[in-house]
Amino acid sequence: MSNTKPNLESKNKILTKLHDKQLVNCFQCIKCTSGCTALKLLELKPHEIEKLVNLGFIDELASSDIIWTCATCLKCVQRCPQKASPYHLVMALRNLAVEREAKVPEAFMKAVSQILEIGLAEDYRKITTRTMETFDREALKLPKISVPKESFQTVFMKALEER
Amino acid sequence: MVTHMTRIGVYVCHCGLNIAGVVDVKVVADYAKELSDVAVAKDYVYMCSEPGQKMIQEDVKKHKLDRVVIATCSPKMNEDTFRKAVAEAGLNPYLVEIVNLREQVSWPHNHEPQAATEKAKALVRMGVARVKQSEPLQRRTVAVDKHVLVLGGGIAGIQASLDLGNAGFQVYLVEKSPTIGGRMAQLDKTFPTLDCSACILTPRMVDVAKHSNVTLFTNAEVTDVKGYVGNYEVTVQRNPRYVDETKCVGCELCSQVCPVKVPDRFNEGLSQARAISVYSPHAVPKVAFIDRNYCLRLKTGKKDVCGKCTTACEAKAIDFGQQPEAVQLKVGGIVLAVGSTVFDASALAEFGYGRFPNVLSNMEFERISDASGPTGGKIVSPRMGKEPKSIVFVQCVGSRDKRFHEYCCRVGCMVTLKQAILTREKLGEDVNVYVCYNDLRSFGKGYEEFYTRARDLNIDFVGGLPSDIRMNADGSLYFDVFECGTGKLLEMRADMVVLANGLVPNEDLGKINELFHASRSADGFLLEAHPKLRPLECSTAGVFLAGACQGPKDIPDTVAQASGAAAKVIDLLSKGEIELEPLKAVVDEDLCSGCRVCESLCPFSAVEMKKEDESGESVLRAEVVEAMCQGCGLCSAACPTGAIKMQQYTSKQVLVQVEAACGDRSLNGGNHS
Repeated sequence: MSNTKPNLESKNKILTKLHDKQLVNCFQCIKCTSGCTALKLLELKPHEIEKLVNLGFIDELASSDIIWTCATCLKCVQRCPQKASPYHLVMALRNLAVEREAKVPEAFMKAVSQILEIGLAEDYRKITTRTMETFDREALKLPKISVPKESFQTVFMKALEER
Repeated sequence: MVTHMTRIGVYVCHCGLNIAGVVDVKVVADYAKELSDVAVAKDYVYMCSEPGQKMIQEDVKKHKLDRVVIATCSPKMNEDTFRKAVAEAGLNPYLVEIVNLREQVSWPHNHEPQAATEKAKALVRMGVARVKQSEPLQRRTVAVDKHVLVLGGGIAGIQASLDLGNAGFQVYLVEKSPTIGGRMAQLDKTFPTLDCSACILTPRMVDVAKHSNVTLFTNAEVTDVKGYVGNYEVTVQRNPRYVDETKCVGCELCSQVCPVKVPDRFNEGLSQARAISVYSPHAVPKVAFIDRNYCLRLKTGKKDVCGKCTTACEAKAIDFGQQPEAVQLKVGGIVLAVGSTVFDASALAEFGYGRFPNVLSNMEFERISDASGPTGGKIVSPRMGKEPKSIVFVQCVGSRDKRFHEYCCRVGCMVTLKQAILTREKLGEDVNVYVCYNDLRSFGKGYEEFYTRARDLNIDFVGGLPSDIRMNADGSLYFDVFECGTGKLLEMRADMVVLANGLVPNEDLGKINELFHASRSADGFLLEAHPKLRPLECSTAGVFLAGACQGPKDIPDTVAQASGAAAKVIDLLSKGEIELEPLKAVVDEDLCSGCRVCESLCPFSAVEMKKEDESGESVLRAEVVEAMCQGCGLCSAACPTGAIKMQQYTSKQVLVQVEAACGDRSLNGGNHS
């Protein structure tokens, strides 16, 4: 096990990204981790995120893969007895990671380009029924989804660059 | 008003570093020396200490001081101490003025010492201006009534009543329910000794009911409170139980014939009682009562409906004609012991309480475990009838939770340890007993040993709370808990889950607050006069607090507080008279025009108008009834001629302070007389 030192400067940076100090005010009841959607497969432990941010171990979190596993189901926010929020910490850490130009998982980059191209984070898919019939939007007589205008793309790119 | 030369002493307290750490006390004392009429000004490290008080007393004599200003902590803390000290030196105690340099200066302004010092100087200046207008006042002595009202018949009310009754005071014990006993009567065993709750409580219930100095009012509530410390007039409404208490023998023949089933409140609704029933097996008084919301005859209001109980009752005790009856009581002191209630976990959707039949509250578990409960003391699921093979206790439900109650409920951990131990003892080694906890708090005498005992009995403690609880088709429960000691996600299976619901403020406290002017703290419980030094007193003089109405408490703490509150009442009433502060309104007859504004405004009906004969003409004059006046000052503020004055808060005293606050002018006066 490696020794690590907390970085209080980074901690303050995270705190300025949060709208409420209460969000880091965790008392480790572990309710969040017990119900975390991303725990079983991806080993995200929200209570650990809370404690690590609290103690100032920000740098290793910001460069880790674990912060990108949160499914943003918000159960931890809903059920936290201390009105803390691992979710908000994860979002702040992701923003810090982008600022530091850390490696962002491909799926997130793909989502950004999809927003640019089709206006959606996820491309719409065909569905397959139990009887193995396949439908797309057209087959279901759903209206076509319009593609974003050029003006949207300009504004979106500008917003990305400003960050 | 003040004609002779005034000689004022100003004393600036350091309060260790509480004040001196922020305010430059030497500068403040030097500044005070320069104010007009100030004969001496000093600073000292602890003014309230014996040498501090002695210094003031010696100065009063040596410098012939006739006024004293003490710049120190809040007057709530030590005003009485300083008044006594100057009185011993021969000065009238109301010629002392306290300036609050701690709560109003050094604590709130601890980051701005310079500004704080300036504010301290201004406050001292105002205090000096004000004290010049103070006049010597005499305390008044009033006789007190030696009867005591105890409100609430749980263990707190019972203990306070017994102590007061034994000390020779006449006690009226008023209880809302049809029986005394309260929450403790519902418990099976008590921690950490595992004494049977009923075995230790029932004798006390009988003792208090039989006590020659205690008058019991069950099924009754307080509807009005008038008067003041030592002389309260309380209206108690006895609600009809539709059964004559003097005739009923508690045989329950009536319940056997009553056709209407109602949820049994004593068993937390886990079983059914009848519309006419005796509240519990050890009810005191053991007299039946009729629930008017369910009884067919009372609900319909028709005289020919049902009436089976009337036929069955051999003692002819049933009386459908009973009406609410108001009783007027005169009491000197009041003990509020109205208790608390248990958190309703259905507000916490994720644990499924109220939806899943095998998720129980800890109070429901008590009723199952108790021999007089719905299952005769067998630990079986009350709604499914099955003995659990695996039982999980979940801690901190509704308490330590900012969504509901932020405070620690103080009993949840120990209640769970007790219930886990009882489960192990009753169901044996084959049953899995788990406790999911966050922090386990075993702070009382013998409590940590009780925790050890639970671990010795192979009860498994899981460090972590579940996020939610889910139910299988057969009613059994499953959920995941991340265990922090091992870092493993445990897949739990349980036939029964018991939630450690905390204690929450009684729903009646709003009404109590109105009736008794009893303040409440942020958590909703009744507020004590001082958290450290006056924990048993309410902010209203002559009203005392006992038990869980003041904050969540276990039985030992409740009983200790009840005995303490009883001792405070004895302290108040034993001399037969008490001294009251001279804070009352006085009328200057020459100025009174008889306009009656004060009479119409007074919330305590303390102003009376009397007719006077003035050179042959009949004129009206206001008169203050001293005993009724509470010193609120409404009359004084409204009087158009300035005839009615609040002693210690005269317009003059306030105005010179305002003037001194606005500028440095008081350096050469502030003298309005």
